[in-house]
Amino acid sequence: MPQNHNVRSLLDLDDLTKDETQYLLDRAHDLASLPAQRDLLRDVCVVNLFFEPSTRTYTSFVIAQARVGADVVGLPPGSSSIGKGETISDTAITLAAMGVRVIVTRHPESGFPYRLANAFTGHVINAGDGSHAHPTQALLDLATLQAEFGRGKIAGLKVALVGDIAHSRVARSNIIGLRTLGARVTLVGPPTLLPNVFEREGVRIERTLDAVLGDIDVLMLLRIQRERIAAAVMPGLDDYARNYRLDEKRLRMLAPHAIIMHPGPYNRGVELTEDVLNHRGWRYAQQVSHGVPVRMAVLDFLVNGVRAAQVARV
Amino acid sequence: MNLLIAGGRVVDPSQNLDALIDVRIENGVVVEIGEHLQACDEERFDAAGAVVAPGFIDMHAHLREPGPTHKETIATGVAAAVAGGFTALACMPNTEPALDTPALIAEVKRLAEIADLARVYPIAAITRGRAGQELAPYWKLHDAGAVAFSDDGTTVENPRVLRQGAIYARDVPGVFISHCEDGALKGDAVMHEGAHSAYLGLCASPGLAEHIIVARDLLIASDTRKPFHIAHLSSAMSLELMRFARAHDIPATCEVTPHHLLLQDDRFTAFDAQAKVNPPLREAADISALRAAVRDGTIDAFATDHAPHAAQEKALLLSCASVGFTGLETAVGAYAAALPDLPLSRFVALLSTNPARILGVPGGTLRIGSIADVTIFAQRPWRVDASRFHSLGKNTPFDGATFERRAIATIIAGRIVMRDGDVCTTSTGGEVCRRR
Repeated sequence: MPQNHNVRSLLDLDDLTKDETQYLLDRAHDLASLPAQRDLLRDVCVVNLFFEPSTRTYTSFVIAQARVGADVVGLPPGSSSIGKGETISDTAITLAAMGVRVIVTRHPESGFPYRLANAFTGHVINAGDGSHAHPTQALLDLATLQAEFGRGKIAGLKVALVGDIAHSRVARSNIIGLRTLGARVTLVGPPTLLPNVFEREGVRIERTLDAVLGDIDVLMLLRIQRERIAAAVMPGLDDYARNYRLDEKRLRMLAPHAIIMHPGPYNRGVELTEDVLNHRGWRYAQQVSHGVPVRMAVLDFLVNGVRAAQVARV
Repeated sequence: MNLLIAGGRVVDPSQNLDALIDVRIENGVVVEIGEHLQACDEERFDAAGAVVAPGFIDMHAHLREPGPTHKETIATGVAAAVAGGFTALACMPNTEPALDTPALIAEVKRLAEIADLARVYPIAAITRGRAGQELAPYWKLHDAGAVAFSDDGTTVENPRVLRQGAIYARDVPGVFISHCEDGALKGDAVMHEGAHSAYLGLCASPGLAEHIIVARDLLIASDTRKPFHIAHLSSAMSLELMRFARAHDIPATCEVTPHHLLLQDDRFTAFDAQAKVNPPLREAADISALRAAVRDGTIDAFATDHAPHAAQEKALLLSCASVGFTGLETAVGAYAAALPDLPLSRFVALLSTNPARILGVPGGTLRIGSIADVTIFAQRPWRVDASRFHSLGKNTPFDGATFERRAIATIIAGRIVMRDGDVCTTSTGGEVCRRR
């Protein structure tokens, strides 16, 4: 059970112990079935500091913040020279002096939230940094798995992540979270998008989707960006499709109980075909639905600590 | 300046000397070496328990002047040099403007003379403006005092330009110093490509970016017979290429920095821009290969790549933060920390004799008749405190570290310019030392 709560910021899932991770999933589960809890962050000022466009994550955070009763300010992307001319610590000092207690931030450069958290006296939540981490996305993915397979049943699940691992913050955070909860992770992709260095204890690599389809419980597809073709990281979509696109033929190789996830936005005809969207195992909407309660739970956990009711159950 | 350095262990690889003897200096020149020299009326320096070596020469420093003098000036740079035990340094031409005209070389020398501490040997650009297109005027730059040529900070991308320059400059005294990083392979990298960069999701540069240019420039040296010197060599494969060059009689030498011998790419786990340097900090296997190459002689010289920056320039985003570390005031301690068992004769050769030979500058020896530039160092544990640096750049990855070895006196032409960390200025007749 979580003890001596001292997690100040959520920068990646390795900030959390196994018990804390489980606690957040349980708390999110409870919050999802309750009415809005507008006392949880009453009078707490939260700033959403997004330097990259975001639809799902931004909206989900704003809704979560409203439902826990926080005072929320959003800074429009591109409105700041933070980190270019102004040092990161200047930004942190400025916001802290205004009484801001929580910063939710997304930034195109890996590590920005870490630098910010080092200089900020309040809490920082990483809403996605470069190719590095996206812990709340990984938490909502774990919440989806828990809803599907049951509490405590993520351990031993066979999960394959497919696609552009090298550039995916979603993949990195999911790898950490899945390992923490005991899942068996397989990464699938071509060598330029999935270097061998990703192999480690509890994480193996396969080079074709067909090699894993018959023996997995969960397939997590990742978005393929067309910039990779211009950057000569991959030849083209047809070549990618040959080994990695989930299509009607490959869907038939999946076990009946297997589910398919995607952090969105997905590209029809690239990493998946239209058939996937109609497949019984497609869980995209469920993933999104877990976003608000998971983010409410994170805000509550960082600001207020662990709830006694949950502790009793753990 | 007359001085008797007495009681020290004199280590001078230029004459295979390692003995407890005295050194007598008259009028800025070494005049006598021997046991138990009698003091005449000269000043006596008691070097008991210390090592007396020919003055250390840093063949790779950035002094920032002309240009961004908030990072460093020639005056602060040479103060840092003598504080760290260096009697001379060669300064890189990536100033603003780049050192690509005789007038700019002359100006650097003039400012160095005013500062009147370490000797300053300017390195001139290989191409005009370091832009990689047109050749710099090598003969005129040599006449003005340039001792070598380099576009350091960037690689001369076009091999035809570099080859033509090397052929034209073949008879001009002064090596071509190569900064080896292929721009296309490097991209926007902030660190070394490996397990750490994969985990951190940071844009990374593969070792290949260095290897491919080391190989290219060694082949250009072979083709043109112009001597090349590979700057801040950082990886195991580059050493294999150097060994190939040696085996094939290619005129080439190379250097290694303290940080590449001590630090690896795990320094980025906190996304700290303090660890950002070119070429990047590499892996444990590279560090052990570099240390072995120092011992086996593949590496010719120690060089700091002293790269001072203002604190705020290191506090920016990783992609925007300035590149490099300040090094002059920590080098002696850091090299000894990396290679505590390195024979002292080799330690001195790498810091003095070899840089003097590669650059073709005076010093690197205590032979009778040579200039009396002397570095005296000792095993004396000390803690690095960047705030007390003479350099304007406090950007060191070694702040707070404890090192075992340090320079305790720096002597230039017989004049003691540093003693126990205190730098003596001529404006006060050398009598009053500025204490930090």
